[in-house]
Amino acid sequence: MGRVKTVRLRGKDENGRVPSRILEERIQEAAGKGAGRIEIDALGQHGLGGRIFKPEGEKTRVIITGSSGQRAGAMGLPGTSIEIHGPASDDVGWLNAGAEIVVRGHATNGACNAMAQGRVYIDGSIGARGMTMTKFNPRFEPPELWVLGSAGDYFAEFMAGGVAVVCGHEPQDPSNVLGYRPCVGMVGGRIFFRGPLKGYSQADARLVPISDDDWDWLCSGLKVFLDRIRRGALYKKLCQRGEWQCLAARSPMEKVGARRRSMAEFRSQVWDIELGKNGLIGDLTDLDRSPVSLVPTGDLRRYAPVWEHKKYMAPCQSACPTGMPVQERWRLIREGRVDEAVDVALAFTPFPASICGYLCPNLCMQGCTRATGSLQPVDITVLGREGTGARVPDLPPLSGSRIAVIGGGPAGISVAWQLRLKGHEAVIYDLEKVLGGKMSTAIPQHRIPPHVLEAELDRVRQVLPGIHLQQALSSREFEQLKADFDFVVIAAGASKPRTIPIPGSERSIPALIFLKEARQGRQKVGSRLVIIGAGNVGCDVAVEAHRLGAKEITLIDIQEPASFGKEREEAAKIGAVFRYPCFTREITGEGVLLTSGELIPADTVVISIGDLPDLEFLPPSIATDRGFIVVDEQNRTSDPRVFAIGDAVRPGLLTDAIGAGRRAATFIDQLLRGREMDMEQPGLHSFSTEYSETSEPIDYSRMTLEYFDPRITGYNGLESCASQCSSCGSCMDCGVCETLCPSGAIERKELPDGGFERTVREDRCIGCGFCGQSCPCGGWDLVENFPMG
Amino acid sequence: MPANSAVTPSTLSQRDLPWQIHWDLHTCTLCGRCTAVCPVNAIELGVFRKRNINVPPLGSQKPSSESSVYYGIRQRTAPAYACVGCSMCNLVCPNNSIQALKSETTDMLRFHRDQGGQPRTRGGRRNLSDSVLDQIKFMRISMLTDPALDAGRHEFEIRTLIGRILPPAQAIKAGQENGWVPPVREIYPLMIGGMSFGALSPSMWEGLQMGVAYLNEELKMPVRICSGEGGCPPRLLRSRFLKYVILQIASGYFGWDEIIHSVPQMKEDPCAVEIKYGQGAKPGDGGLLQWHKVNRLIAAIRGVPPGVSLPSPPTHQTKYSIEEAVAKMIQSMSMAWGFRVPVYPKISASSTSLAVMNNLTRNPYAAGLAIDGEDGGTGAAYNVSMNHMGHPVASNIRDCYLNLVGLGKQNELPIIAGGGTGKNGNLASNTAALIMLGASAVQIGKYIMQAAAGCLGTEGDRCNICNIGRCPKGITSQDPRLYRRLDPEKVAERVVDVYLGFDIELKKILAPLGRSTSLPIGMSDALGIADKAAAERLKINYVV
Repeated sequence: MGRVKTVRLRGKDENGRVPSRILEERIQEAAGKGAGRIEIDALGQHGLGGRIFKPEGEKTRVIITGSSGQRAGAMGLPGTSIEIHGPASDDVGWLNAGAEIVVRGHATNGACNAMAQGRVYIDGSIGARGMTMTKFNPRFEPPELWVLGSAGDYFAEFMAGGVAVVCGHEPQDPSNVLGYRPCVGMVGGRIFFRGPLKGYSQADARLVPISDDDWDWLCSGLKVFLDRIRRGALYKKLCQRGEWQCLAARSPMEKVGARRRSMAEFRSQVWDIELGKNGLIGDLTDLDRSPVSLVPTGDLRRYAPVWEHKKYMAPCQSACPTGMPVQERWRLIREGRVDEAVDVALAFTPFPASICGYLCPNLCMQGCTRATGSLQPVDITVLGREGTGARVPDLPPLSGSRIAVIGGGPAGISVAWQLRLKGHEAVIYDLEKVLGGKMSTAIPQHRIPPHVLEAELDRVRQVLPGIHLQQALSSREFEQLKADFDFVVIAAGASKPRTIPIPGSERSIPALIFLKEARQGRQKVGSRLVIIGAGNVGCDVAVEAHRLGAKEITLIDIQEPASFGKEREEAAKIGAVFRYPCFTREITGEGVLLTSGELIPADTVVISIGDLPDLEFLPPSIATDRGFIVVDEQNRTSDPRVFAIGDAVRPGLLTDAIGAGRRAATFIDQLLRGREMDMEQPGLHSFSTEYSETSEPIDYSRMTLEYFDPRITGYNGLESCASQCSSCGSCMDCGVCETLCPSGAIERKELPDGGFERTVREDRCIGCGFCGQSCPCGGWDLVENFPMG
Repeated sequence: MPANSAVTPSTLSQRDLPWQIHWDLHTCTLCGRCTAVCPVNAIELGVFRKRNINVPPLGSQKPSSESSVYYGIRQRTAPAYACVGCSMCNLVCPNNSIQALKSETTDMLRFHRDQGGQPRTRGGRRNLSDSVLDQIKFMRISMLTDPALDAGRHEFEIRTLIGRILPPAQAIKAGQENGWVPPVREIYPLMIGGMSFGALSPSMWEGLQMGVAYLNEELKMPVRICSGEGGCPPRLLRSRFLKYVILQIASGYFGWDEIIHSVPQMKEDPCAVEIKYGQGAKPGDGGLLQWHKVNRLIAAIRGVPPGVSLPSPPTHQTKYSIEEAVAKMIQSMSMAWGFRVPVYPKISASSTSLAVMNNLTRNPYAAGLAIDGEDGGTGAAYNVSMNHMGHPVASNIRDCYLNLVGLGKQNELPIIAGGGTGKNGNLASNTAALIMLGASAVQIGKYIMQAAAGCLGTEGDRCNICNIGRCPKGITSQDPRLYRRLDPEKVAERVVDVYLGFDIELKKILAPLGRSTSLPIGMSDALGIADKAAAERLKINYVV
């Protein structure tokens, strides 16, 4: 190696201080000309010694005396070594890219900021923000900073690589060699330090043990460092392994944040200790407050299903004034017990065929749930008409109590029938020659085949031997009946036709007379007929008149006619004309003159505006109101031993009369037996029907009708009817609920009596309500679970 | 409704409802979880009829019709069962087969929510996402001009003062001459506002308290929480945690006899006492905790027998003038703890706020003023009160602050702002905006319910059924079946997360302003808004 070319530069010349730019030009010129040693007597010039670009292997020594200025050695390069004789100003070794820089004194703030390669040796302490933002580029050796003394505040912020060694010799703060808050944001590199430490960013760095290799590296490096700063004598003092510690950056995986107490620990170790067991309100409640899932079972369900089998009355039964358990009868048919289904009707009515099968407008069908879903109601007439063959229930022995029944129409027969079923003797007295009231005398035969009614009347006679026909009754005889019998029931009907006080009313025929006469074949009728009053009786008159030869039939009414159902249909079918509003002024030989002046020509005029009871026999002690007998809820009159039912009380349907008979009989039976009022139906013990007549009717919305085909418009026999019954309020055992239950919580249990029940396993049920929503019968309810808390 | 029954004026179709259930036949497993969890029984199992028409080659055979049945989930349409959009059904659905979607058209239900003549009441919020606070930008960013701070690197001490802060000379004088200086607390500027034990479930209330205690004791963040008006559990009153609590007294005075009984056993004074005169969500209206919600626990804490209704009237009963209200109440409450505890009133933001503010400046015991803006939330209110009554918080705070400036007392009486802070999720920026408009501290309620407990409410009328005791998250219900869905410990963890996250965000705003230790209260030169009218009204910079 030849002689090193030395260039000396001065920071101050004859013109005064040399500007940093000029001095830099001179340094670059000297370096470019091959100077191997550049001595600078500096005067605070910026960035001295950096950026000396030389071919690899060529070395340059820069010796700086005087005051070295900021950023000495900035952007220093490999091959450059810089010796600063004295302290260094800010940012010494800034962005150092490979130079070795020796500072023979302290360095101020920012030493080695952004250093990427090279080594910096400080013979003293450094100021704030040393070794910050340093890098490690894998293409090169990592940068190193060696500090004999201590580091200032915010040391190694955002340090991203390299090694810092802080020897702690004569530190500025003997209690802390790394300054305030070192290592914030540190992501790479290591810091060896000797001496006490007052905290560091634990989120970013951690203390690591010094390995043997580390120690060897440190010792050899220390030797070089002390040699460079000519403090070799300190080696022995500093080289005490036990005095050194090392901080290393946490890896990204380790940087999970500083360790702090978990909330669970805080709760058990702090919260509950200060407040007491179970925390804030542990003293006020002993409720379990542990977390629950969103869809719990058991007591924690918000809702729970309840099987409400037969809790409510089916709408058909509820709609029937007779109280016929219609739905139960369809069940019996579904179960193949057709005879039982037919026979059971006689416990409720003596006329299942005549009334249910023919004459009734079938309120049960009007009430049928199926109608709410535009489905054809289950046809009760099919079952009703089987009633001619129904077997009479076993009759109990007579109790000795006797009841007189005035009237042998449907109401009278019903009450007598029921009383007999309960074991009492009922004796019927009637004016007419035939039994059956208007059913036998006034209702046209096209409405009901005569043999059906006759068969049922035969059955009545069989059950009730005491029937006395053609018995006109005076008030004296009435009193006698009262004296002879325990109770008297008036079921005399309404046999006195109402008329209107208009001129010529004597020319009209009352509908009741017309129908009775027609039935006897005695009624003559002209070809033009006007019927005043277009109700159902008027319709019957029209059809009968048509049968008897009338050609032009007109029904007039003062308002929209109240007629409906089969009667209206039949009248319309024979071509009867309905007109309203029409107010009659006079009935003349030509016909009916209306107040409008119009004359409706008529050969025969029938007046059909209803009938009143004929109550000549009634003693004054029995109150009436506008011609009808006043009764209470049990059909008792103002005379406690006299009851009244049927049209004598209020004009109604046949089924109303049958129902009233049942009610009155039940009450009379209670009075005779002195028992609490209940509605136990006699004659049912041999049947498997199960219902309560006191239940509330079920809400239509509970049934699900989607299982039925709305295109079914008619029925083909009993089974076809029964299969379309939704069994409202009574479980039909279809199994939909337990199949649909998402958690398999519904169980079917056989009962000892041969029945069954459905129960819910609370440990499985989540209270979703699927059972109730899917049930065709409305047999499940979903109720709020019991209150908690 | 049955497909073919008579309609009433309030018969609605699914399309008429604000929230519509969309259900997927193909993925639904009929597990029943959705109907089991729905808080308002808006959905149920549906049994559906399906028809198949088979048409063979014409003329060869008669076409046939076959009916079959399938099952699924059906939305009920009666107003009483209208879906509230909480989406718990979707949360529990294993197959994502069901969801509640908001109608894009104006719903018809709103015209039918007065069945029986009872107008709609609900919990929640205003259902309006507009926010002036969201529009405010922080446009003073120091880079080279001021010492730029680094939110991650620099140490911040974000604190504010609650209490009457006398100027030093006056304070010394007062101490020497009167032997008393007004109590002042140094606290974290984001407080949890008053939500009562009763309005909140036990789980929620305990979770919030636990989180606050953790922040104080483990993280040294002096966060404070207001008790709300429903009393305070005796254990808390007698614990050291009481110092983190601001006790609220309101027109119902619930639980205050219990608090007074506890005074001798208190280890610590409460942080402060808040006298509630109004609530931003329903200004001028009171509240009623219905008898069926007053169970044994609530009754014990409120000091009442179970099963009675608890009214909080709109006004305090014995105060007829502002002087009386302020003087009497502040004096009494100060006296309860020997004048050691700051006492301040809380009012709904209103055009009368300035009058209250001015009055307080003349009251030596007043420790501040809390103003709750129209965007505040509530557990129950009439829809009309919530949506249409009240005053925006920004201009109200600003007016009061500038009024204090005019009196030279802006450093003396702290203003606590609340109501809708973070309603769209921007908690830190809304808080910073309020502070720079003049607030010393900010109270939050809804935000912490959403963030710490998963409250499902949004400004889009979702859920909002806090008032009926069926909160699907168990936040506002007193039914153990519901509130046990909420684990207090998890709430507490989330409170901590929220505060730590908020703290970082707030620093991101404060650092560029060069503030690390003193809050930039009223530092409105840093604020800008692209709305000229708002800029003029708030006296901040108009920037476009």
